[in-house]
Amino acid sequence: MVRQGWLPVILAMVLAAAVLLGNQSLQLGLDLRGGHQLSARVFVADPEAVITADDLDGVKNVIQRRIDGLGLAQTQIHTVGSDRVVVQLPTTRPPQEEDAETQAAVDNTLQRVANQITEKAVLQFGVLRPGEVDRYATLLQERRDARLAVLRGQEQLEQLQRSRSGSEELSASREALEAAQTTFDQLEQDIGRLFDLRPLTGDDLVQVVAEPNLESQGEYYQLSLTFSAAGAQAFADLTKEVAADANLRLAILLDGRSISEATVGPEFRENGITGGGARITGTFTLEQAHELEVQLRGGSLPYDTEIVEQRSVGATLGSDNVRRSLTAALTGLALVSGLMVTIYRLPGLVAVATLAVYALLNLAIYALVPVVLTLPGIAGLILSFGMAVDANVLIFERIREELGSGRKLYQAVEAGFNRAFNSIFDGSVTTLISCLALGYLGSGLVRGFAITLGIGVGLSLFTSLVCSRTLLKTSLFLYPALRKIQYFRPVQ
Amino acid sequence: MTSSETVPTPPAIPSAPALEAANPQGAFARFQASRYRRMLLLLSAVMVAVSLLGFLVNGRDPQIGAPLRAGLDFRGGTSIQLELACHDPGPCAASERLQLPAVRSVLADLQWSPAEDRQPAPAPSSFSLQLLDNGEGLLLRSTALTVAQAQAIEEQLATAESIAPLQRERTQVDTIGPSLGAQLLQSALLALTAAFAGVAVYIAIRFSPINAVLALGALVHDVVIVAGLFAWLGQLLDVEVGSLFAVALLTLAGYSVNDTVVVFDRIRETDRLQPHLGIIARIDRSIAASLVRSLNTSITTELPILALALFSGGELRWFAVALAFGIGVGTYSSLFVAPLLLGLLKKDTAPSRS
Repeated sequence: MVRQGWLPVILAMVLAAAVLLGNQSLQLGLDLRGGHQLSARVFVADPEAVITADDLDGVKNVIQRRIDGLGLAQTQIHTVGSDRVVVQLPTTRPPQEEDAETQAAVDNTLQRVANQITEKAVLQFGVLRPGEVDRYATLLQERRDARLAVLRGQEQLEQLQRSRSGSEELSASREALEAAQTTFDQLEQDIGRLFDLRPLTGDDLVQVVAEPNLESQGEYYQLSLTFSAAGAQAFADLTKEVAADANLRLAILLDGRSISEATVGPEFRENGITGGGARITGTFTLEQAHELEVQLRGGSLPYDTEIVEQRSVGATLGSDNVRRSLTAALTGLALVSGLMVTIYRLPGLVAVATLAVYALLNLAIYALVPVVLTLPGIAGLILSFGMAVDANVLIFERIREELGSGRKLYQAVEAGFNRAFNSIFDGSVTTLISCLALGYLGSGLVRGFAITLGIGVGLSLFTSLVCSRTLLKTSLFLYPALRKIQYFRPVQ
Repeated sequence: MTSSETVPTPPAIPSAPALEAANPQGAFARFQASRYRRMLLLLSAVMVAVSLLGFLVNGRDPQIGAPLRAGLDFRGGTSIQLELACHDPGPCAASERLQLPAVRSVLADLQWSPAEDRQPAPAPSSFSLQLLDNGEGLLLRSTALTVAQAQAIEEQLATAESIAPLQRERTQVDTIGPSLGAQLLQSALLALTAAFAGVAVYIAIRFSPINAVLALGALVHDVVIVAGLFAWLGQLLDVEVGSLFAVALLTLAGYSVNDTVVVFDRIRETDRLQPHLGIIARIDRSIAASLVRSLNTSITTELPILALALFSGGELRWFAVALAFGIGVGTYSSLFVAPLLLGLLKKDTAPSRS
């Protein structure tokens, strides 16, 4: 009569779960562990173009290479949906260290990562159109002026801030600076448009190195480029063309903006610059040069990207969240256990044991899948506890009813489980349908919740219908002293 | 009350057949929900009306302009939450606490670094500031900022001499782009609709289309009332709804239907085992039989959720409040609203055979 076949299975599962949890820690989400998450949307301006899953993977790989190039450990990058790339960075600072320098370095890291995600870094080479020589000279002068205006604007703003001027004055100066910056950006693009592109791009590079520019006494940095064989040939052709006319210029364009224009001396008229090397000089700081180096090494992004979501959680805040939700979960669990034993007596005790098994198996599944635990995920777990308890309540109420209508203990227990089955099954299936809808259609937070709730509800079908039953019947079979009605319901 | 609602006494059954219906036990065994039908349904109608009124009031409020006060998740924008170093273990000295004018003047000196940004920065005067924990914390909101801009703000406040040191380990920054906000709302609504439809189809198959309609009705009833509570909370306490609130509604939908299905299941069983009773009597018996179970289940589910409300803060706490209230409403609607309406509807199609 007792289906003891399940008992070894349950014990084995509990043991396996315990071993698994001992060896493998749970993965905590950003909100519990602290860190930064940046979500970027990948898009194309052309409405006809479609970004396929492979294209999106390509974007992910470029970003991955670039961030690896920054030398950041433990960064996770994955694609979400059809157009999203998500980058997660753990907080790198140790909790004790509070000095401002570390802090600034960390903040800077986030900014550098954000730049690596959004800068396309399409490197192109172009030759000035002969008809645009005069226009180029004009724009060149304008750009020089614009650069000066930006520098002056920055100085002025800094001065005003040091002297603690009024906010009106400050915002006027800020606006002026922004306007100067916009003008400068616009000019760089305008200049870029004066050049005809040649078949040589960042894809033809085999090596990029940022190094001090010796001519500037180390004040500025430059990038040394090494081309592939095909690239070297294209570069030689290009320089030969430019060398033919002293008025012509060779421009290096980054994302459509001219970042460097150069003449090529007449000595290269014959063969162009051979040897497969070139350098980009300019007014790069070490940081800018290094950033560009990483971008060019990682490759250009084939599509436009914009950061649509940033979530940053301080490390202490994260561990605080863990502590709070654990306290909530454990308190809730203790209260529920107390209530179950008070109301349902022996079956209540069995239900508590079952819930312990349930909790253990749940966590083991999280470690196995693996499920990344987030705050909404923990909420889902807590709620699924409620539903697991509900299944037991349904069963025990039925057992009481059966006992009330005069059945023997064994029959009542059996009938209780059988009759509660329909309710439990229908209830679980409806909840699972909701979870499926949420998991497929919901966004990050919602999905985390749906996953833990779904796992919980599925698991509770097993624990309440199999574990509770086996444990209750086994204990009745092994200990005849328990076979008393008052252990099941109040006796009138 | 009409005469058809009087319950005929069941005839004594000589010997218990193998699958005899067990009669409801305990304190509520003789509870006849149909006697209070008018009152119970009126209570529901009033709650729904108050909720709809809340939506209307919010919709006409120029500050909100929608049935519910949409949070960052759905509206897009940036929120930066900061805490003073003295908050933990606290409390801070009165002189250390943040004052809005002081914070405003620090922010007015903010220097954006335009070179880093492609996106124009909003004026610091447009930020909405809110003190938390008696001035030991600060919540800053703005339109969506770039990473660099959000950092500039944090840096500015952290380095200001007129502000007590911040505990930077406890900073939280959230930015949702405007397009993403609309998308999140859309995906939440889509998920809700899909969940409703899936559940309706399942119940229509397992029970009948009438049951499906009623279970959905009960579910809409619950969702509307919980949303109504938050409409009023948004109006009175400026509580905002975000992704977590959508999660709460979806959970609630699952819970409510689960609960309704359990009662329907009981009614189906009573229909089969005690066909000699009238439909109203069968439903009354089923409600009475489910009452203790439903109450116990709600209490056991409420306990961990109340613990969550007690030990968590911020958005998660409102999430727990929504769930706790919703489970109460859900239990009510599955016990009374759906079954009582089932009694009214089914009477027309299958007259009682008493």
